[in-house]
Amino acid sequence: MGTVSRDAGTVDRRRPTLLHHWLVVRAIFRRDFISYFRYPLNFIFSLISPFVWALPVLFMARAFSTGARNEGFAAYTGTSDYVAFFVIGGLVTSYVGSVMWGMGFSLRQEMWQGVLETNWLTPAPIVVQLIGRSLWSLAITTFEGIGILAIAWALFRFSFTGHILPALLAMIPVLIGLYGLGFGIAAVVLVTNNANTVIDLTNYSVQLLSGSQFPVRVLPRVLLAVSLFIPLTYGMDAIRGYLLGTKTLLPPSIEMAILLAVMVCFVAAGYLIFRKVERDVRTAGNLAFH
Amino acid sequence: MATIRAAALRSRALPRPSLAAAIWAAAWRELKIFIRYPAWFIAMLIWPSLFPLGYIFTSRALAGPSGEGLARYVSFTGTTDYVSYILTGTVIWMWLNTMLWNFGNTLRTEQQRGTLEANWLAPVPKWFLLAGNLLVDAAQWLLFLVVGGVEFYFLYGLRVHGSPLLLSLVLLASLPSIYGLGLIFASLVLWAKDIQKAVDAVRGTMMVFCGMTYPIAVLPAWMQSISHWLPLTHSIRATRAVVAGQGWTAVSGDMAFLLVSGFLLSAGGLITFRATERTIQRRGSLGEY
Repeated sequence: MGTVSRDAGTVDRRRPTLLHHWLVVRAIFRRDFISYFRYPLNFIFSLISPFVWALPVLFMARAFSTGARNEGFAAYTGTSDYVAFFVIGGLVTSYVGSVMWGMGFSLRQEMWQGVLETNWLTPAPIVVQLIGRSLWSLAITTFEGIGILAIAWALFRFSFTGHILPALLAMIPVLIGLYGLGFGIAAVVLVTNNANTVIDLTNYSVQLLSGSQFPVRVLPRVLLAVSLFIPLTYGMDAIRGYLLGTKTLLPPSIEMAILLAVMVCFVAAGYLIFRKVERDVRTAGNLAFH
Repeated sequence: MATIRAAALRSRALPRPSLAAAIWAAAWRELKIFIRYPAWFIAMLIWPSLFPLGYIFTSRALAGPSGEGLARYVSFTGTTDYVSYILTGTVIWMWLNTMLWNFGNTLRTEQQRGTLEANWLAPVPKWFLLAGNLLVDAAQWLLFLVVGGVEFYFLYGLRVHGSPLLLSLVLLASLPSIYGLGLIFASLVLWAKDIQKAVDAVRGTMMVFCGMTYPIAVLPAWMQSISHWLPLTHSIRATRAVVAGQGWTAVSGDMAFLLVSGFLLSAGGLITFRATERTIQRRGSLGEY
């Protein structure tokens, strides 16, 4: 961080260390924390809204089910517990939305509020700032996820019959890979100046095609081919396989290997794209245009 | 004295404040902003057919490869055509959703941009901002309906078996209740100061209680009794009836409910807006966000 040395009056241009990055991330997290609780309705709606999104699907499943069992669904997946299947998909994809909105939409908000250029001028690397922006969003998503699990269990009674530890391990490459996607989305927001449409469409399409609500086997061939190119499909499939014993697309160990490889590629590609776009908008001087 | 007279003459020369001109100016501005961001056009093309897909594929999975789950579905809905059932529900819900975003954002975005106080000083009733937005929103909705109709016809094979005129009447009867709700919503957003969560709460509630993708018979009894009081339930039910080929007698009850609730919600919307206007002016919190 460039700090002015009092005795010499010169600028300290040492390379920023991990500690400096941590301080930046912590400051952004604190700012988002304060902003979040400054709007008390935010907190209440955060508890309600994810569940409200889940209920239409869960009630729709009821229209096809006899008691707690869904035989049609079991024929596709090997489990008749649609609620458990859906809850896992919902939890995993909520992190997708969290990273996308946390990194993409916050840029847009700063454009509106007129502080984007100012924040960009600080010596804190913009990539670190973006990561900081996503962290509060991830924390809230985790909190909401626990709430959803509790309420869904109380109302619909599902159970995880498999192994939790490998499922949690499978989440790690999924989450890290998502940051690559987040950098890409942030780049698109800088280019288009339109966060809502870009994030909404991408988020929904990824959720849809990765099978957050249904087994991807029901997709028509063209869409299934697209779905198999989305790493999240394998992540969700592996997690469900571990937790529910569902039929997986590939053996879980192969799905994990795919996830690890894709994680590295996504983060590298997302970072490079973002840096390129950042250079372009700075050269064009339209960073804060909205 | 001469200066005062000159000022009086100048003030007489100023055009009289016109509400219609203010509404038109607000509508024209919204339209220009809308056109300035071309990504919205892409969204308008994609969303009508993309949004129902998740529910349609979920239904396909729940029905099973050989239709194992369909018998139960038929006992609730009277049809095996879950695609049409979902499409009609989602298209009405998307109308509400777009309206909530547009109306909620009208005042909230101006707060964030810092232009609300300046526009509030216009010497006309303050609801001109929302009225201008209503014109643009209605035009967008019409475009959305046409685009969605074409996509549903070709992509999903949706056919309207009933009278198109009756279908138009059902949509017209839904108009006052939807925009009345929008007026209330826009006022409340000024209090809540958070559009995202407020939209999520209202659209989510409607999604759950109005039977967008399922028959309300699957809801617990207490939820069914709430859903009967929501205008969107009646809009969706009447639209589904007409699409399935039923006539006036099947939808007359829903139409009557929509007209009465539309009147009440519109009146409630104006009262809420006026109350909000008075309160925030008294507190001086108009520009706060």
